[in-house]
Amino acid sequence: MTAPATTDSAPEEIAVPDEGDRGSARRYGVLALAAAVVVGLLLGYAGGLLTPGLTRPGDTSAEAGFARDMTTHHSQAVEMGLLAFQRGTDGEVRQIGGDIASGQQGEVGTMQTWLRLWGLDPTGSEPAMAWMPDGAGLVRNGLMPGMATPEEMAKLRAAQGRELDVLFLQMMIRHHLGGIHMLDGILDEGHDEDVLRVAQTMRNTQQTDLTNLQAALKRLGG
Amino acid sequence: MSISTPGGPERRPTVVSTGKKPAAGRPASGAKPEAGTSAGTSRQTAGGKGPRKPVTPVKVSQGRSWGPIALFVAVGVLAAAIIGYGAYAAFQGSKPWEKRADGIDGIVNYRDKDKDLVKGGNHQQGPIKYSVLPPVAGPHNGSWQNCMGDVYDAPIANEHAVHSLEHGAVWITYRPDLPADQVAKLKEKVQGKEKLMLSPFDGLDKPISLQAWGYQLKVDNADDGRIDDFIKTLRVNASIEGPTALCNTGITATGTTPRDNAPNMPEQPTQ
Repeated sequence: MTAPATTDSAPEEIAVPDEGDRGSARRYGVLALAAAVVVGLLLGYAGGLLTPGLTRPGDTSAEAGFARDMTTHHSQAVEMGLLAFQRGTDGEVRQIGGDIASGQQGEVGTMQTWLRLWGLDPTGSEPAMAWMPDGAGLVRNGLMPGMATPEEMAKLRAAQGRELDVLFLQMMIRHHLGGIHMLDGILDEGHDEDVLRVAQTMRNTQQTDLTNLQAALKRLGG
Repeated sequence: MSISTPGGPERRPTVVSTGKKPAAGRPASGAKPEAGTSAGTSRQTAGGKGPRKPVTPVKVSQGRSWGPIALFVAVGVLAAAIIGYGAYAAFQGSKPWEKRADGIDGIVNYRDKDKDLVKGGNHQQGPIKYSVLPPVAGPHNGSWQNCMGDVYDAPIANEHAVHSLEHGAVWITYRPDLPADQVAKLKEKVQGKEKLMLSPFDGLDKPISLQAWGYQLKVDNADDGRIDDFIKTLRVNASIEGPTALCNTGITATGTTPRDNAPNMPEQPTQ
């Protein structure tokens, strides 16, 4: 790159320029310029190839943490929703249980696809919720905000009839409140446009669910 | 060459002058006064851009200070090391999980060893005899063991557990005589996380054994780092039905006799 620049400014300063040397230098300059252009193109191409890999969310990014943890969080909602769908007695409870189970299972697929596209494992190497400021402190016995304990899940499985309906509504309301808290976390911390868009959709859905769950709970006298 | 020669002295003083700038401005700091003055003159040459052919440059180059050069080399080496490590880490991280699984010391890969074993995902009622224990693959009961981070305090049925492996679960088993604090450490890794489950297993030849579909790793201690490696590498990844295969609505009861009635029906016997 410097060689052609030097020759450009040189001629006036050179007292006795030798014609033959000057020609070969020009050829050399052209060659150097061509080589520089080729190298530049190759660098640009390499940069273009590498950039998506460097800019996609990494293993410890908020996006990856969210995709993993929300998968876990959703999976339990799917379990509760399926129990309500199978064994609820109230029509609306069964309906909303099936809706939440199928909807959130679909979202699990979306989040797992992100991880695969980013070349990341479904399992992270950091503790749950570490991607959220003060998030790790919200985890109790491995459970993220709003998640039911094994004892509570056993109680839901054992419940029958109206008791199951009410218990499901109570547990799902708490679950959604925790979920919305995590969604607010990624909406604050995240940068990936698609992740933010999907997170916003999840938040809207859960917020609407909450209204309906609370109304149903009131109707059932829970 | 005659053309590049004027370019040489012209460029060289510029380099030198940056190195010797302090010498021109304030009293030379440690530099030889002789070199300082010659640097001053050649700087003038460079500034004037005159077609002069100074004789001094050779002397000037003697004044080259090794400090900045060493610094640049050090920074360059450091930058190259950082970039190199980044590229290496990215390369390692992008290795497919199968490759990384084979890199775990002591892991047994039944996908390579016994292709017939790992392809059989058929449902089968009643007790099933497994050639590898704890089982890592093969035919299994139609119902899977609940693997939502469930911690079972008694042995579970292989026939259900293998179905969970097929769905991408990592099943951690331990010998019933494993000390309670060791069990607590395993429990901490498992609880609350779907596609994981923990249960005691009678007759283990090692204190702890980890299973994923087609993979097994036996370790002596709950603090063994390979446990986390196994989970990170194989949980969900080893699923042959993809990441959305269910772990919930499975069998939640313990006991080594398989249950042939699907557990998810309204009349599910509880506990």
